[in-house]
Amino acid sequence: MELADRAVGFLLSFVSISIFTYYTFWVIILPFVDSDHFIHQYFLPQEFAILIPVFAGVVLLCFLCVFVGFVMLKSKKKKA
Amino acid sequence: MKHIVKIMTLLVAISALWGGLLQISMVPRSHALLLPIYFVVCLGCYGLLMVGVGLMQFPTCPQEAVLLQQDIIEAKKYLKPRGVDVGSD
Repeated sequence: MELADRAVGFLLSFVSISIFTYYTFWVIILPFVDSDHFIHQYFLPQEFAILIPVFAGVVLLCFLCVFVGFVMLKSKKKKA
Repeated sequence: MKHIVKIMTLLVAISALWGGLLQISMVPRSHALLLPIYFVVCLGCYGLLMVGVGLMQFPTCPQEAVLLQQDIIEAKKYLKPRGVDVGSD
């Protein structure tokens, strides 16, 4: 059990650090690099740097609203 | 009420800072425009990192687990003849 916990914790930290470095590179360092450097092929076009977080935020908001509505409906059905 | 006021002042201060940064032409304009989203993503990453690190460092106390199991057995033995059913085995 302890090993599973530590594995999940390690995976979470790894994912978060990789997202942080990729995003930092994308937004801050890439605009300063010449446009014919090879590194540009590893990164999506710059518009996606705005689209992906906004899209993720909207999805999260929708999911929260749906969840709250679902719980409210279920509690009302149980009471009636 | 006071808590909301604190949060609102913090938000207004951060927006004023961002507006000022946009006016100063020391930082490139595209960078200054992307700063709020960058900070939100950073905050999310930081939260995930703290959760992961906390998970990794969570102490399990195996001796306490054994003692707890013994306590449970004792309690069951004590309560059973008195008619209290403590359920799932």
